[in-house]
Amino acid sequence: MDTILSIILLPLLFALLIYFAGRKYAAPVALAGAGINLFYFLFLLSGFRASHSVENVFNVAWIPGINANLHFGLDALGIFMILLTALVLPIGLIASLKYSEHRSKVYYILMMLGLSALNGFFSAQNDITFYVFFELALIPFYFIVLMYGGAQRRQAVFKFFVYTVFGSFLMLGSIIYLHSLAGQNSTNDWSMLYDMEFSVKAQTWMLAGLFVAFAIKSPLFPFHTWQSDLYTEGDRPTIIIIAAILSKMGVFGILRFFNVVNEAIAQYQLPLLVLCIAGVLYGALVAWRQNEVTRIMAYSSLSHMGMIAAGIFTATVPGLKGGVFQMLSHGLIVAGMFFVADSMISRTMDNSIDATTGMARSHPNLAVYFFVLCLASVGLPLTSGFIGEFNILQGLSQIRLVLAALAGVSVILGALYTFRMYQRMMFGTPNPLTSALPSLKMNEDYVLIVLMILVLVLGFYPDTWLDLADQATASFLQLKPKG
Amino acid sequence: MLSIVILTVVATVVLYLGFTQYKNVIIPFAVTGIVLVLFCLLTNQSLWNNWFMNMMDIQGSSKIFSVLIVGTTGCLLPFINLFRQRGAEEVADFTGILLYAIIGGMMMVSYSDLMVLFLGVEILSIAMYILAGASRKRVASNEASMKYFLLGSFASAILLYGIALYYTSTGSFRLDIGNSGQSALLNLSYLLLFAGLSFKIALVPFHFWAPDVYQGTPTIFTATMATVVKISAVGALYQFIRYCGVNMSDWLFWLISLTAIASILIGNIMAVTQHSVKRLLAYSGIVQAGFIIISFLNFDPKDSWIILYYLVAYTLASLVTFLGTHFIEEVSGTDDHSAFKGLYYNNPFLAVVMSVALISLGGGPLTAGFMAKFFVLSHAATAGNMALVVLALILAVISLYYYFRIINAMFSRTNDTRNWEIHWTYRGIFAILSLVTLAAGIAPYWLVNLLK
Repeated sequence: MDTILSIILLPLLFALLIYFAGRKYAAPVALAGAGINLFYFLFLLSGFRASHSVENVFNVAWIPGINANLHFGLDALGIFMILLTALVLPIGLIASLKYSEHRSKVYYILMMLGLSALNGFFSAQNDITFYVFFELALIPFYFIVLMYGGAQRRQAVFKFFVYTVFGSFLMLGSIIYLHSLAGQNSTNDWSMLYDMEFSVKAQTWMLAGLFVAFAIKSPLFPFHTWQSDLYTEGDRPTIIIIAAILSKMGVFGILRFFNVVNEAIAQYQLPLLVLCIAGVLYGALVAWRQNEVTRIMAYSSLSHMGMIAAGIFTATVPGLKGGVFQMLSHGLIVAGMFFVADSMISRTMDNSIDATTGMARSHPNLAVYFFVLCLASVGLPLTSGFIGEFNILQGLSQIRLVLAALAGVSVILGALYTFRMYQRMMFGTPNPLTSALPSLKMNEDYVLIVLMILVLVLGFYPDTWLDLADQATASFLQLKPKG
Repeated sequence: MLSIVILTVVATVVLYLGFTQYKNVIIPFAVTGIVLVLFCLLTNQSLWNNWFMNMMDIQGSSKIFSVLIVGTTGCLLPFINLFRQRGAEEVADFTGILLYAIIGGMMMVSYSDLMVLFLGVEILSIAMYILAGASRKRVASNEASMKYFLLGSFASAILLYGIALYYTSTGSFRLDIGNSGQSALLNLSYLLLFAGLSFKIALVPFHFWAPDVYQGTPTIFTATMATVVKISAVGALYQFIRYCGVNMSDWLFWLISLTAIASILIGNIMAVTQHSVKRLLAYSGIVQAGFIIISFLNFDPKDSWIILYYLVAYTLASLVTFLGTHFIEEVSGTDDHSAFKGLYYNNPFLAVVMSVALISLGGGPLTAGFMAKFFVLSHAATAGNMALVVLALILAVISLYYYFRIINAMFSRTNDTRNWEIHWTYRGIFAILSLVTLAAGIAPYWLVNLLK
């Protein structure tokens, strides 16, 4: 009955094991923990009945005074992100294997704590649990980047931290406000919260706090300035996790609170959409002019996150569906992109896109995996990126055609900056340094093949996941905002 | 009442033990005394019922405040032994004076007659003036003592003036006589009493002494000042508002809101620029005091647990940060920000417990500090002051900046790789304080039930 609790406690158990294990065994134990977490979650998933209900609930009294419970459970929306976490965390750990001589046990313990906090966050079933784990998930990754990464990492991660905490304190303000309006005993799970009726004015205040928090976390333009520094300076295996999962926490939060503030969203829909689309275009244009691999990926990520948020704010069936689907899809793609970047940078120690000219000739398999990921990132049909972006654009066109057109431009821009990067990195005159680089290790091969297959499979057979995304957001439309 | 008698006896015996050669038994003896006092408090042992004609009464929330004061002192006492390692031989004096000080503290949190309040304030303050100057050979310590004494005397005078005006307008020193008059003189007396107690809590605009005194005082007694004195003064304010809050509700709401927001604002802004960690913690203490008095808004005795919970969270974290700073000062000779660099690689245990404490002070999740802030701000929101909540939250971000600057320094690498050890007794105390911080943050129910 308390099965959901086990995916939160299991990583903690492994953290303890790592603490008592020898330093040599830290990485294997952590990988085993992440692997068991993945398989255990798949097992939970196989028992998930496609319904609107929440399953595997764990619910105990927690905070006195406001009578908040500690409440976890598995629901359609959470499944997307818990699955993504379970898939991406092993990838991050595998990427860190090549640095394992320089990583202490603490690194892997923090990774496990992070996994636990993320699982807790995505399965949180009320706003207080959600908030606590929103903050909690930040701390392990903060300490990892504080200890490992490039020369400027401390400034970069500190900026990230201060931004995020500023946002989350505003969110706390919104939640406290919400509770002071709702009174006691009324907010112990999401559906109770969704049933409350707040005035539009109150909702607007809540939305303001929540939006800033989630826009910083995602990040959405213009709250993104922490992003490219952190992605460039941070410990790259951790950045895989931050880019793929932590950044999704923002849009995930918007979805969780959507029904609470839906009337306010309806009222301010146009400015919100314009902000998102501006971010989409801005991110794409900036990415076009960058010459560092991680910065291109960071701005590309900014652009795609804007797209996801735009899809959600349309409050239409395809927009919401596409947004949720794209969270999963973009998580996988961005994890793959940063994994490739990490593989190459760890070999060349150079972040420039011109560092590895002619790589396609000397390392053809890497070039192929990378190419598929780039195609998916651009949103080519038959890849998962296409399904998500197509639905989002369809949703946007139901609101304003011109918005859909502008967002559509970003797909073209996406092709421009992505293939510019790919061309400069992979083609060009082969240089002797590049061909001398060691080829991919077996584990890197496997990771990229698995990611490639996942991206293609999601592109060929998106139905199961689109249906699930539909379910996850169906309740949002029952309370259709007054247009 | 028995507890005060025991404390007096123990303190006096400790003073005389200082003349003998049995200096090793001073601290164990004092700790035994503290444990005995805690036992008496918790099991309601008392010798006489009508004590001082009911001018003070250790019951209900007063009892919990007293337990907090005594318990905190119990954690602090073992650290006084560290003075012996530095060659100072006055361990008996310090211990005795500290024990006398908490008698004053207990009087402050349990009075119902203003004379007892004044006696308590003076007993506590005079003891603290002496302890501030405990490092007789350091100029800074002497200066701190002198400053604290001069400014503290002014504050006492203001308090006394308030008491005098109270007597003038009501004809009694008692707070519990249920006076309902609303004369200007009475209001002035309330204001002066509030000002006098604000000084002891270090609230803006009576905070100017805090950074200088905190910095000059030997760190162990700074910890005492930040915890025992603050708990006592908050307890005194609690008694005061419990009895008189009804008579002055309309302007009290704004007085508390403004004082709180001013403390949080000025404390935070000043803390950002500090290099000395003790000064930084002094300003952070001002901020925390601002948060504490938010819970006095629309005061209801049913909600006293919010104040107590915040005090517990603050005390746990402050003890760890100040006493940890003491060890760092010992090793590197300065409490400057840079002295914390690379602490994690020299002494991982201290770095981890200090990080937990700093995160708790900043209100990080799953620590007692988060729950405390959450309770206080929820209370303010229910009291209808949403603007205060939002302002306090935005300003709390600044506080995270300076707390995490210390954490950043602790986790950055340096070439200085001396390993140094802390005696297991002190490590045990640190570990217990940190575990309670986490336990109270993960599952707050048990602590709240204890405090209710």
